[in-house]
Amino acid sequence: MTTTDGGRQGSLRAALAIARRDLVEFVRDRRTLIVALILPVAMYPMLALSTALGLRTAATEIQAERAPTRIAVALVGDGAAALAGRITAVDAASGTAPRPVWPAAIRLDVVAAAEAKRMVEAGEADVWLEVPADCGRLLDESGTVVLPVHWSDKRPPAARVQDQFTAVMTAVADEARQRRLAAAGVPAAFLEPLRLEFPQEAAAAAAPKQIVPIVAGGVLVLLAVLTLTGAFYPAIDAIAGEKERGTIETLLIAPCAARDIVCGKFLAVFTITLATLIVNVASIGATAAVAGRYLPAGLSLALPRGVAWPAVVGVVAFTGLAALASATCLAVTTAAKSGKEAQNTLTPVILLVSALAGTALLPGMRAASPMAAVPFAGQVLVARTAFDEAGGGVIGPLAATLVSSLLLTWLLLGATASMLTDEDILFRGPDAATRGLARPGRRDQPTVVEGIVPLVAGLAALWYAQGLTPDDLTLAIPLQQLLTVLGPLALALWWQRVNRVRTFSFRWPWSRSPAGGGRGAAAAVGGAALVGAGVFGLGAAALLAVKGTSLSAEAEDLNRRLLGLMLARPTWLAWCLMAVVPAVCEELLFRGWVLAAFTSGGRSGWRLTAAVIAQAACFALFHLLPERMPQTFALGLAVGAMTLATRSILPAIVCHLVHNSMPLALVTLAGGREAVAAAVEAGDSIGGLAGIPPWAVAAAAVGTVCGIAMLVAGTRAARAADPARSGEP
Amino acid sequence: MIEVVDLVKHYRASDGSVVRAVDGISFAVAAGEMVGLLGANGAGKTTTLRVLATLLTPTSGTAFVGGRDVRTDPVGVRRRLGYVSATTGVPDRLTPREVFDSFGRLHGLDPAVRAARVERLLDVLDLRSCAERPAGRLSSGQRQRVSVGRALVHDPPALVLDEPTSALDVIGSRDLLALLGDLRTEGHAILLSTHRLHEIENRCDRFVVIHGGRVVAAGTREDLVAAAPAGGPPTLEAAFFAAIESPAVGGGA
Repeated sequence: MTTTDGGRQGSLRAALAIARRDLVEFVRDRRTLIVALILPVAMYPMLALSTALGLRTAATEIQAERAPTRIAVALVGDGAAALAGRITAVDAASGTAPRPVWPAAIRLDVVAAAEAKRMVEAGEADVWLEVPADCGRLLDESGTVVLPVHWSDKRPPAARVQDQFTAVMTAVADEARQRRLAAAGVPAAFLEPLRLEFPQEAAAAAAPKQIVPIVAGGVLVLLAVLTLTGAFYPAIDAIAGEKERGTIETLLIAPCAARDIVCGKFLAVFTITLATLIVNVASIGATAAVAGRYLPAGLSLALPRGVAWPAVVGVVAFTGLAALASATCLAVTTAAKSGKEAQNTLTPVILLVSALAGTALLPGMRAASPMAAVPFAGQVLVARTAFDEAGGGVIGPLAATLVSSLLLTWLLLGATASMLTDEDILFRGPDAATRGLARPGRRDQPTVVEGIVPLVAGLAALWYAQGLTPDDLTLAIPLQQLLTVLGPLALALWWQRVNRVRTFSFRWPWSRSPAGGGRGAAAAVGGAALVGAGVFGLGAAALLAVKGTSLSAEAEDLNRRLLGLMLARPTWLAWCLMAVVPAVCEELLFRGWVLAAFTSGGRSGWRLTAAVIAQAACFALFHLLPERMPQTFALGLAVGAMTLATRSILPAIVCHLVHNSMPLALVTLAGGREAVAAAVEAGDSIGGLAGIPPWAVAAAAVGTVCGIAMLVAGTRAARAADPARSGEP
Repeated sequence: MIEVVDLVKHYRASDGSVVRAVDGISFAVAAGEMVGLLGANGAGKTTTLRVLATLLTPTSGTAFVGGRDVRTDPVGVRRRLGYVSATTGVPDRLTPREVFDSFGRLHGLDPAVRAARVERLLDVLDLRSCAERPAGRLSSGQRQRVSVGRALVHDPPALVLDEPTSALDVIGSRDLLALLGDLRTEGHAILLSTHRLHEIENRCDRFVVIHGGRVVAAGTREDLVAAAPAGGPPTLEAAFFAAIESPAVGGGA
């Protein structure tokens, strides 16, 4: 046979051959062309036109609302004539010094009370005033004239009439004040000891208002969703479509690895997605260039420092998003056997991506935060920040979002390759949905999908638990753990008949190894405890270094409630609620069920790495508060890795337990509950915790390293003593 | 050229039970030989062929193609094997020429060799007249010929076909089997499974009958007919039924 070299060159050649073949198929698919090219070209002009026309209509209405109008006032009482004279004089003076709010004309009628009432009811007057007899004298000398203002209940004056009437009467009062000051020989400046002047105000008012920062967020979210839809049909066609046409086997028997096939398909899908992004961006640019003509006066699409740099930042960030979208769509549709099944699985992805992208528009979201690494939200956030701040200070977040996109893309492609060659997925019968209500058969571990189900149910329950559980953590913590962790887990466990010992790793550490036993278990538990304490210390120090003591309102509230629990309840009860209950419940869910599900596909190195990262991300997400996510993610990584290394859930529970016990230990170190309570009452920072001393950070680092060393040594000893496991990661 | 050694493949069914699809079978196909793999539905034919095509991993035992082990060198096996099944399709939006060319690229053929191979396949498979037509607009017979051409584009020494004539009419089947006969003459080792015993009765050199995942009979047509109980018609079909219904054959699929 005449073939070129294998190895890396062969992989690249195979990937490019598949990408080329798939691209030809994609561009011959009308649906792909419609979504990738025609939809963006048509959508943005339509959106811009409707938005611009809406803005113009709204501006016209606002202008009409502020326009001067004719107001009619009926004056009743002995002082009516005098007041009418004052109003007429003030109105005449306004011609020489125009005021921002002033009626076009004022009609004054001095009438009897009955006639005044009739006039307002008939719409001949907007309001009528009861003017006291000594109104003129009081205005000139001293005292306060009280003027009851009446109008028809059936026909109240419009807001602009009220504003303009109020402006006129305020001017009458100002004029009277000037007279009084002059009569008393006091200069007019007496009542104005300070006046602020803004020389630029006039220029700023004259300059058009920039609306790019206002509309950029919405447009970027739309761009994220449309970029994803660019990957939609190619991804469906790439694998599920091949299965439906019966051509996937022809690729799987090609002389290349599954990852080469996935890389080729990814390149093809990514090319179309990137083309979609480029067409979208070009359409946005062209639309913006024309949309300026339709905007109402005073609004502009220009930025002070131009749109070039923010646009470059946005395109780079969204290139990462396009890669991530392509990999996500491929991974999600790989298990599907038909285009229809793939479309069904992609629908929730679009909703999820829309929700994630939308979080970038929430108040307080900044690119310079861990949010930049959140998929689909980070890219929108970075691009939005670039437009808000004209591109300044986004290089770091841009790098973070690109690294995050690449890492997630790599993980997703690995998962896709794994699923592509999974015999159960490849050769299973018609859609498993036909037996949706039948309990699955017994198996050792839950599948990935089965692992995610209690997580999703738990997250949904978390929403209700946040609103339903009482403020008092004594009740709230057990109730929340029951609703969000134990409940979904128990249901999943009842439905899915799995091997519970294997799924939850209910074993002593290294129990299957000759090196296991009492010493091995002690080393694992001791190492886990050190890691738990160390991760808490390092996490707290990092949080204080990054955020200081300025936490979000939700984090402050949680801290306050936890502190209240520690100070108001017996120490044993606080320990049970803060440490024991979460450690046991959450470890059973995350390091038991979820980790077992994520490792069900195999135990190769990268699969285990991906599983540990994925479950740690789920664990961090479960804790909701952004401030807590980095630390919970780190804890999730640590306990996930130690569960796999020791093949036991016990070290993970101990590590979590010690981690959560640290606040109680710190209270004890800070002088006990009474001393801390007194310090809190006095308004001090809690036992001096506003800053963690360097020695404590060093101790936490040493503890973490020692703990990891103990676990690594134990794992190596177990492998050395058990040759059957020596090849395992 | 093709060798199956103590091959075992077990599945786990949705109810958790273990299905022994292939339960320790062994046979071989030499270069220039065409062997028919016979068996009822569920006998384990497709599973065996999928293991040979490296689409499934054996539970135990192994198989070799051109001396390469499916367990340890699946890519080497794929370089030496052409695989066609009844369910194997062709990309609807590609033309026959593009299908052959794209798989030639996948196999790393040099451009000149690839172009020559594509032209030869278009002639040999009588696809010249529809070479530029998208496969979605071809007849079933033409599509099946494209599928066979796709499997031959890298000129593999071994060819495995799983019910290749099931979607074809009589003429299409005759032409395809004639092509396979030519390939055998050229020295290819061919293993094919089919339910249409009369089609291959006089075309295959040998037959392997499997039932319940085990080999229950093997040999030439004459061997199988001779092993059948006396009194029946001297046909491959009668010999096949005799083999799978023999009291010595236990179990089922």
